[in-house]
Amino acid sequence: MTRGGSPRIEGYATVAAVGLVAALALRRPELAIVSAPFALVLAIGTRFARDPRVEVDFTLEAERTLEGSDVSAEIVLRAETAVDRLELALARPRGLEILEDVDTFAVRLRADDEPAIPLRLSCSRWGVYDVGEIEVRAHDRFRLVVWRERFQQTHRLKAYPRPESVRRILAPIETQAFTGSEVARVKGDGIEYADIRDFVPGDRVRSINWRASARRQGLVVNERHPERNTDVVLFVDSFADVQGEDRSTLDDAVRAAATLAARYLERRDRVGLVAFGGILRWLQPGIGMRQRFRLIETLLETGVEPTYTWRDVNVIPARILPPKALVIALTPLVDPRFVTAVEDLRARGFDLVTIEVDPVGVVEAGRSPVEALAYRLWLLEREVLRNRLERLGVAVAQWGDDVSLEAALEGVRTYRRYARIARV
Amino acid sequence: MFAVGVRVAALALVALVAALVLGWSPLVPVSLVMLGAVYVSQLSLDDAALDGASPVFAAGLYLTAELGYWSLEERECAAREPGDGPRRLAFVATLGLATLLVAAALLVLVDAVRARGLAVDVVGAAAAAAALLAVVLLARRKPES
Repeated sequence: MTRGGSPRIEGYATVAAVGLVAALALRRPELAIVSAPFALVLAIGTRFARDPRVEVDFTLEAERTLEGSDVSAEIVLRAETAVDRLELALARPRGLEILEDVDTFAVRLRADDEPAIPLRLSCSRWGVYDVGEIEVRAHDRFRLVVWRERFQQTHRLKAYPRPESVRRILAPIETQAFTGSEVARVKGDGIEYADIRDFVPGDRVRSINWRASARRQGLVVNERHPERNTDVVLFVDSFADVQGEDRSTLDDAVRAAATLAARYLERRDRVGLVAFGGILRWLQPGIGMRQRFRLIETLLETGVEPTYTWRDVNVIPARILPPKALVIALTPLVDPRFVTAVEDLRARGFDLVTIEVDPVGVVEAGRSPVEALAYRLWLLEREVLRNRLERLGVAVAQWGDDVSLEAALEGVRTYRRYARIARV
Repeated sequence: MFAVGVRVAALALVALVAALVLGWSPLVPVSLVMLGAVYVSQLSLDDAALDGASPVFAAGLYLTAELGYWSLEERECAAREPGDGPRRLAFVATLGLATLLVAAALLVLVDAVRARGLAVDVVGAAAAAAALLAVVLLARRKPES
């Protein structure tokens, strides 16, 4: 531990020095009497201050938690020597909170003590946190000497995004070949009734609709829609993050992506991810619980990396965007590079939905008339951009303070009920 | 002289309050030195050969310093163990009492030894300088581990 002096040393030394010099100069022994205790405390305190020997351990109950949930932690101390006051300050990364509402804990240790300090931590934002850096300050009995040491026992805590409430998810226009939970538009073997048609040799007897056959005086068979799986690619905009006091568009986008991924994977759909920004991250579409964790772990690494280079969808490997996949873009629509990528994907015939993580609630209008005018122009530009995307056949749903993700998805469903892919 | 003393005392109070409010510890010794100046002015007004109340003033000044620094330490909002405050208070009170006793003993000693002259002054100055030097050296002692 590094030994140093507390502010008391300077203060007491100053008072003692001034008092003793003044006593000599003014020939008043009373001043020496007044300053003598300060000098005496300094001498005794510094002489008998012993270097403390303390070990600090930090343990974390879990390595994974949910955004906003508590995680228990413990600081375990082992003291070989007695310490009158030991202060422990746990370094807090941004977004990590100590629920005890204090940053510093003070304890008194006797020799061979092994106390444990329980803590409850909470992550206010999803992400990866390195926890366990503890600054230790030990004080002697007279509070004259301070020993400092920094213990690094870093544990990685992953806070998964909090799920949004979504009951119905978007159905893609086209399904894939494998069995799943989505009723396909094509006809084949399945459960959902589709149509009837005349019997042809090779049809199974169990498909015959006997009632319809009796009415039409010829054999008629039922046709059904098969249940197929779908491919969904979550296309997250990490070019820009519009941050407010308690909201960030990237946080919301990641939260929505995690929620949608979990919902689609529950239906045995294949889900992939493209985080399109300064750093391009992707995950090939896959199914199952393992894919869910892979997706979330990839999402946790998503952050805004500043870049001025122009990127288009050519940089995305082709296998990440399978044909007939539903591409759900999650974006605040503020970076033209991402908007261009969305337009490119639409031009390539992908079934595309844009969920606009609305940044308008985060941006203040400004006070001056010029700022207010600029704000209005910005809103109009956004409106124009939205209309442009919709003209291309891209459903745009606004998700913001007043609109839940469920309602935004319902808006997309309504749009897609009337809009159809036009191949020209 | 009395009016000057009152003003200096008011300044000392302001300095101490400022130190506690702003959390700036160098203002604490400034206020203590000002209080010492008030005491000097009081001594010059009384014109007594040896002030019998000096141990009480010494204890008061020391307690003011201790409580001031303690208050500054508590600004860090540390979660303390139960009983830490009373235990510290008892220790500070003990130190105050010890200060009173030491100062009283010194007063008795000074009263008994009323030597004057250059030699005594030189010895006193040397003792003061040696005490301060010892304090500085001890404070800057290298850590054992």
